[in-house]
Amino acid sequence: MFSQLQVIWSLMRGFRLRYGCALGCLVFVTVLNYGVPLVGSAAIDYAVAHKSLDATTPSLIAGLLRLLGGADFLRTHLWLAPLAMVLLAAAAGFFSYLKGWQASLASDGIARRLKDDLYDHLNHLPARYHDKADTGDLVQRCTSDVETVRQFLAAQVMEIGNALLLAATALPLLLSLSVPMTLVSFALVGPLTIYAYIYFRQVQHVFKEVAEAEGALTAVIQENLTGIRVVRAFARQEFERDKFATPNARYRDRSLHLMRLMAWYWSISDVVALGQLGITLIVGAQWITEGKLTVGMLFAFLSYLGIMLWPVRQMGRILTDLGKTSVALTRIREILSVARESVAAPIPAVSKAEGRAERADPAQPLPPLTGRLAVRDLHFHHAGPESAEASRGALNGLSFDVQPGETLAILGPSGAGKSTLMHLLLRLYDYTSGSIQFDGRELSSLPRAWVRAQIGVVMQEPFLFSKTLRDNLRLGRGDAPDHEIEAAARAAVIHDTILGFAEGYATLIGERGITLSGGQRQRVAIARAVLKRPPLLILDDAMSAIDAETESVILQALRERRGRATTLVIAHRLSTLAHADRVIVLDHGRIIQTGTHAQLSSQEGLYRRLWQIQTSVESDFKNELKPA
Amino acid sequence: MSAQFHQEDEFSARLDTGLWWKIFRRSLRYKRQLYPLFASAVVLAVCDALFVQITRWVIDGVVRDGAAAPFGRYVAVYLAITVVFSGCVWSFINLAGSLCNHLAHDIRTESFDKLQALEFAFFDTRPVGWLISRLTSDCDRLARVIGWGLLDITWGITYVVMIAASLLYMNWRLGLIVIGVVPPLALISRIFQKKMLLSSREIRKYNSQITAGYNESIQGVRTTKTLVREADNLKEFQSLSVAMFDASVLNARQTSSYYPIVTTLGSLAAGLALWRGGYLTAGGAMSLGTLVAFVNFAGQFFNPINQLAQRLTEMQGAQAAGERVLGLLETVPAIKDSPAVTAKIAAHATSVPSPSPIAHHPSPAALAADGGPARIDSIEFRNVTFRYENGPVVLHDFNLTVRAGETIALVGPSGGGKSTIVSLVCRFYEPVSGSILINGIDYRERSLAWLQSQLGIVLQTPHLFKGNVRENIRYGRLTATDAEVEAAAKLVNAHEFITQMENGYDSSVGEGGNRLSTGQRQLLSFARALLANPQIFVMDEATSSIDTETEQLIQRGLETIFSGRISFVIAHRLSTIRRADRILVITGGRIEEFGTHAELLRRRGHYYELYTSQFRREREEAVLEGSGADGKA
Repeated sequence: MFSQLQVIWSLMRGFRLRYGCALGCLVFVTVLNYGVPLVGSAAIDYAVAHKSLDATTPSLIAGLLRLLGGADFLRTHLWLAPLAMVLLAAAAGFFSYLKGWQASLASDGIARRLKDDLYDHLNHLPARYHDKADTGDLVQRCTSDVETVRQFLAAQVMEIGNALLLAATALPLLLSLSVPMTLVSFALVGPLTIYAYIYFRQVQHVFKEVAEAEGALTAVIQENLTGIRVVRAFARQEFERDKFATPNARYRDRSLHLMRLMAWYWSISDVVALGQLGITLIVGAQWITEGKLTVGMLFAFLSYLGIMLWPVRQMGRILTDLGKTSVALTRIREILSVARESVAAPIPAVSKAEGRAERADPAQPLPPLTGRLAVRDLHFHHAGPESAEASRGALNGLSFDVQPGETLAILGPSGAGKSTLMHLLLRLYDYTSGSIQFDGRELSSLPRAWVRAQIGVVMQEPFLFSKTLRDNLRLGRGDAPDHEIEAAARAAVIHDTILGFAEGYATLIGERGITLSGGQRQRVAIARAVLKRPPLLILDDAMSAIDAETESVILQALRERRGRATTLVIAHRLSTLAHADRVIVLDHGRIIQTGTHAQLSSQEGLYRRLWQIQTSVESDFKNELKPA
Repeated sequence: MSAQFHQEDEFSARLDTGLWWKIFRRSLRYKRQLYPLFASAVVLAVCDALFVQITRWVIDGVVRDGAAAPFGRYVAVYLAITVVFSGCVWSFINLAGSLCNHLAHDIRTESFDKLQALEFAFFDTRPVGWLISRLTSDCDRLARVIGWGLLDITWGITYVVMIAASLLYMNWRLGLIVIGVVPPLALISRIFQKKMLLSSREIRKYNSQITAGYNESIQGVRTTKTLVREADNLKEFQSLSVAMFDASVLNARQTSSYYPIVTTLGSLAAGLALWRGGYLTAGGAMSLGTLVAFVNFAGQFFNPINQLAQRLTEMQGAQAAGERVLGLLETVPAIKDSPAVTAKIAAHATSVPSPSPIAHHPSPAALAADGGPARIDSIEFRNVTFRYENGPVVLHDFNLTVRAGETIALVGPSGGGKSTIVSLVCRFYEPVSGSILINGIDYRERSLAWLQSQLGIVLQTPHLFKGNVRENIRYGRLTATDAEVEAAAKLVNAHEFITQMENGYDSSVGEGGNRLSTGQRQLLSFARALLANPQIFVMDEATSSIDTETEQLIQRGLETIFSGRISFVIAHRLSTIRRADRILVITGGRIEEFGTHAELLRRRGHYYELYTSQFRREREEAVLEGSGADGKA
């Protein structure tokens, strides 16, 4: 409990003054609100009922009367009292407005900061974290958990403050008016508070049940609608109706159960609250006849009781909400406590390769990459226990060089480590041992941002943002003029497709816009990478959904750009591989063959077997027709 | 398609009384809740007013009679009203809760039933998430507005009338003065409630954009990193989070100025009562208790008026939800049995009391539910033209006849019309012109449910339902025994991997089947289709997204599946295509080439091109996968 309060306190950093303002306003609201019944009470007793000031008059009332010009003056100027009441109410209202405003500035400000922090943090978490994380869960934490915290900060903090303030000020005030009357008026308030708290603790699990029943209902509807084609295909409408009926009825019955419990809570708490008012009224009336109390004073006590009872009945809910907030905060902090991607990680092992790699001097601005890469004895293993799954994509001592402007193709079965290599070059993962040098500098000493700025990468399933096509392309280079964007789109053979859309380059894609096919997405991503004009271009199976003819046009366009960009191509198709200067064949994290197209097609191995398919198609096909 | 669905939260400028009357009429069915609810709302308002009167009665009593005042009676009356009041609270929460939940439950059931009957075209233009919100939040919201709205409106109106009547009864001149604050109070309440609703809409809108922002940034985090976009992303996100902050603060300011304004108005009324009433009381024309009652009543106008304003505004806000739900309930399915067919089904049901539940290769003489022949001997497309709603024509004057036992392979570029042909066969859509004949009779003259229960369909992305393996296979025929389920699984070679799962046939498949690989899911969907023992079998790209190994498993089962049925196969895999009796190359909604595999190859046309490129691709895959396996050995 205490540590949770500490967390909340630290969350308020930068906004504590605002909360102070809000609480200050709250004090004014409370004090001014006390004034209204007090003025009413004084006016009723001394101006209307002609009671005279005597020893029994509470000093507060006497002071108030003096302020209004004395009882006699008030009697002849009765309008003063209502005026004072309205002014007091207006002033209290004004402070209440200020309080609400300040509290909102504080709580919404904290929520906004929390959202921004989470967003930024998620963008900076290492790729490994995102490999395992569940998007739905993360989004849930960033939105509904933050909302729970915000509600606590906005409403509950102020309500608790209000309750504490009332307790701290109302009691002394009422005691100063009349001690026995205070005791009578608050006899049942304590039990009511305890009742509220216990009750809400008890129904907590019913709330949860209702939420779960609703979740189950939604899940059934979702299943039915996503599988509606299967439902129709087997004409299973009746069956689905029955399947739906159970959770639908359960949700209804759980909600009804909750309603019944609520009905008991509110009616019982009404009995107690009204009982309290009744006791005050009857006892007060009794005392009026005995001369111990005035009518105005009774009026004041009844009014105060009205102010106090509502927060008390809400207290149970507020206290139970505290538990919810604490769970939400923990879930948020779990994300924020994960370490971000380091800016420049230390070299994991001294490179054993010829010559020491130069470490990048952080103070020196780096010149753009020329495109020379050297990979030496590179190892990488996914964290976790040794297993067949973990050995997929591992690298076991990889060494090769790439010259500036060269196009190197990488071929190999899935799980051989091709994509891992690309991820290491992009510093999405950090290698376990060995060395990668960019222009002779050790990769792990280079800032990630610089490394990534040097590389244009296109993945097999490229991600496009829900922006317009033009904005998506411009992600490659923010200041690119329109004609360069179009040139890049032409190089990727997507320009004509884009012009075919009603809104051309201004077409919105993604959830709120049109859906592109896999091949179109790949081509947009290629254009985006081309526009970036990177010294190093990586195509990670980036044309798998593009037909062979288009692919060869794109590769031709890229070839014309050669001399500017070093290109690494992961591909399966021979037509792609044939465009490369050199091919390396990867298997189980090792290079098993390397050479030019001519060299590899004359060696026994994977490359040659692929090459042979090309020529064997015709003969196989003749064989097939023979029996027919 | 989606743009129109994002404006779903529009605020309706005026209350559509016709719509609300329709919705209210639905709640008239719940007489057992509705009338007692009205009654308890009225009694509650009367009690509220009585409490103020009791205070007046007690004060006047003690001021007049002193110790002789009837305290016993005070206690008794107070107690009685407290009990009635609390009883009303208890019953209205129960009644309104019951009304809400039953109403929501029943509207939901009705909507769900309607969705089960609506044609595919309806789903083409409405995302699943959108439909889910109609059945969950819209239904709940509508029911809440009805249940609690009726309660609060009845209570509010009664209470306002009670207060006004009490004031006028106690002193009509002073009463009129105090009642004077009601119009401004009502006006201000309406204005503010509307403003607050609009700004909270705004907050919700930004909130959903922020959710989408998180979603996108998490899914695209690798792209963000490789494009070094972290800082730019944050800047874009901040424009949203700032907008939401501004909207939230605006809403908070509206809320926190509204209550002070109306409470100040309330104390103005109380002040007026105290001022004018004070003179009257001081002059002896009014009792002290009446004065206190006046002041109390004047301060209480705010409560019911606030409730009334809030409920009316909520109705305006929920009107769009009401329109959507009613719209769904009133939609008439475009594909359904004609009245003539319905009559035939009814006639058949009376003549044959217990029709055989399963159509196991029906004998030629067997009859279907509509009295027509149960066996399908032929399917014929006669001059069929089709286009999707507002779309271009996808099938032109298409003609095709298929006989029982034949397997037809459909190949060709995507968008050529292959899937449309099978959807038409399944009567998921109907031809725009021309007709489809079953045994020479237009299928619109046959029962829809009968035709669709003769289908076995396997789609490219196999959809499984949450549950275990057995339940999923049994979906094909609900009455199948465990032995039949296993037999079907064995036929498609799924038995082996199923028995290797932790609980065999009782193993859970996970949500949407996510605990299984695509290939395994596909095997289960084959078993499911086989178990249905359909007369028409449809495979839509069912083998395109699975690995070679699973594909070989399926190939061995296909022989059994195809035999004796009419099969339509849309496929890329050559092994599947080659099996067909006839291959149709579909381009641009027409048949470009047709014939057997050998005939088409000899022709060296479009099929030949498709075939060679696909052949090369499959061989390349085989070489790559084979090399992976070699390396391990």
